[in-house]
Amino acid sequence: MLARKILFALLIAAVSMGTFSCKSQKKISKKEAAAAEARKIAKAKADLEAILADDGKMKLEEKEQKLQVIKDMNIEDAEVQELIARVETVLRREREAQIAAERAERLRREREERLAREREEVTRPKGLSNYFDEIATASSTSDANAKIREALALFSNDDVPVLIIISKQGGIVDYDRPTTIKKYLEYLKDVKKNLNTVENVVYDNNGKIKELELIRK
Amino acid sequence: MLKNKITLASIVLLLVSGTAWAQDEVSPERKQAIDSLALEKVRDLSKYISIIGSKETPFSEANRVIERALELFMEGSQMGVSSINRKRVNYYGIKEYFERLMALNYDRVNIEWYNINYISDLVRQPDGKYVGVITIYQRFTGESDDGLKYVDVTKKDITVYVERKQTQIGGRIIGFWDVLLGDIRVTETRKG
Amino acid sequence: MFIAQVVCYAQPIGTYLGDERFMYAETKQVNQFFRRFNSEEDLSGKRLDAKSREFKNPEFRRKYIPMLFDNETGKIEEALKKDFIQDVTRKDQPKLLDFYGKDWFAEVKASFRYKGKVETVILFLSLEQEALGHKWVISNVYFKHFADLFFNEKDMAGKFIHPMSHELDFMNLIKVFRDGKNLEYYFDNEYKPDFRTLFLYEVKKGDLVFEAVDDVSFHFFQLDNWYFELTEFNRHTANSGWLISNLTKIPENQKDLLLKYIYYEK
Repeated sequence: MLARKILFALLIAAVSMGTFSCKSQKKISKKEAAAAEARKIAKAKADLEAILADDGKMKLEEKEQKLQVIKDMNIEDAEVQELIARVETVLRREREAQIAAERAERLRREREERLAREREEVTRPKGLSNYFDEIATASSTSDANAKIREALALFSNDDVPVLIIISKQGGIVDYDRPTTIKKYLEYLKDVKKNLNTVENVVYDNNGKIKELELIRK
Repeated sequence: MLKNKITLASIVLLLVSGTAWAQDEVSPERKQAIDSLALEKVRDLSKYISIIGSKETPFSEANRVIERALELFMEGSQMGVSSINRKRVNYYGIKEYFERLMALNYDRVNIEWYNINYISDLVRQPDGKYVGVITIYQRFTGESDDGLKYVDVTKKDITVYVERKQTQIGGRIIGFWDVLLGDIRVTETRKG
Repeated sequence: MFIAQVVCYAQPIGTYLGDERFMYAETKQVNQFFRRFNSEEDLSGKRLDAKSREFKNPEFRRKYIPMLFDNETGKIEEALKKDFIQDVTRKDQPKLLDFYGKDWFAEVKASFRYKGKVETVILFLSLEQEALGHKWVISNVYFKHFADLFFNEKDMAGKFIHPMSHELDFMNLIKVFRDGKNLEYYFDNEYKPDFRTLFLYEVKKGDLVFEAVDDVSFHFFQLDNWYFELTEFNRHTANSGWLISNLTKIPENQKDLLLKYIYYEK
């Protein structure tokens, strides 16, 4: 038992020292060298085949690293060379796919961020309030009507409820009679004054406003 | 059995509204906000009246604004009009008043509102609603192309009903003040 | 003084400042008369905080109340006004008006169509508490045609049912009803014709049809030992709006007589 262990240790030492020490190489017999070469080839083949057979358990980086190690061994074996070529093709495709996926992911993220930014611009009282101001100060009825049409596009529909807070005193919130967005925008056009600012906005799944809460300036 | 259920439901409803009214203590700040809200409705009315009376307003637009203006009022509200020479009140329905305003035969109509108003106390009526009166002054000028000009200054005492109501929006209970205008007493204070 | 201050508060708009000055000074509502009388609002008409110095302040009231009289027709003596103002603004026992309080009511002259002609009916209204709030109720009615029906005979001689009529099964009632115009003299001493019921009867029958309100005034018996009347003066001066048009110093025990007079009772 102990003898086998020692033999194994020696074997490992022989393999690992083989490339670095010319002197020790000389000590190893030709037969032993041939056997070691055969094991190296077998190991390389097994590794390369494992890479080819991988169904996603190994990371791409890990596979590329393994390939590099085998290539560095400079094994002059036709089968190994062919396997290396196949593995290189597979890994290159995999790498390309990963880059494409990453790029797609980055683009998606960027688009989402942009959308979020845009939505935030609408959410920010200033964006919607701008419409309110523009409608209230429109130079003509048709100008006001055009602005109303534009503003209405931000909402789920014309009947989106609009709540107006008239007072917040001691934890009690008092509202005016609820109205709808279309009526409110027309009200701004008619009375030509904008007394309220945006307090809160609720969106639907399409990013359109489905509820609007205003507060007296 | 069904009748019993209905009665029970109405009793519960009464109790609920009863407790709502029991919270009679409206702070001076909140009262002020209600006063402002009521005054704003009167100002809105003045804007609507100017639009309806203007010859430049297209017919369809004027009709839309009349609808909007009518929404400010309690149903059945009337205008009671008297002149300097005649103290006796003539009555018009609010809608009739707007339609007369739209049909006025002046080429130019100018309605100015003085920057003076008076808001009475809100007094509670038996049904729990609050009622007040806002007084404003208006100067009406009507001119024809042939040079005829009519001017009058009127005092308008406008009834305002204020009611605390609740509604459900987006799953939330919203407590709001329903402000509706009522009868308007128009007194001519002088000819221009 | 009051007017001068009011003028300072007026905000000029365009060229109509003249009008505005009067509008500010005008007592625009009966509500404003109460608040000015009690010093419960500032010069611009805004409610005063109950904790402010001006609120119900006797000195302020002494300045405001003189402006709440009709000062242009000269109907009220200056000495009487002075006496009144001094009495209601006494520091120890000021007399304030209470909208919800008793002893003030409205007199409304209204036109009704009666037997083909337009006639004036006088309605008296007072505030009454009910359920969650208050309401105006018709508390008395005067109509000349009703009044003319009762107690107009100067000669009351023989207008009674003699005390032994019972022995004859009241057969003399035939004479009483022949004198139907004077039937009320045969009623008990406590009898008082009720014009409200007559009025209701005529309206419900359709013989009295409301046309319009012609005039409104208010009678105040609320302040001890005083009576005054409030009337609206629609004129283009600073002394306009709801003003005291009539003032009487009257002991409490004599107010009933005055009330009867106002109710047109005989």
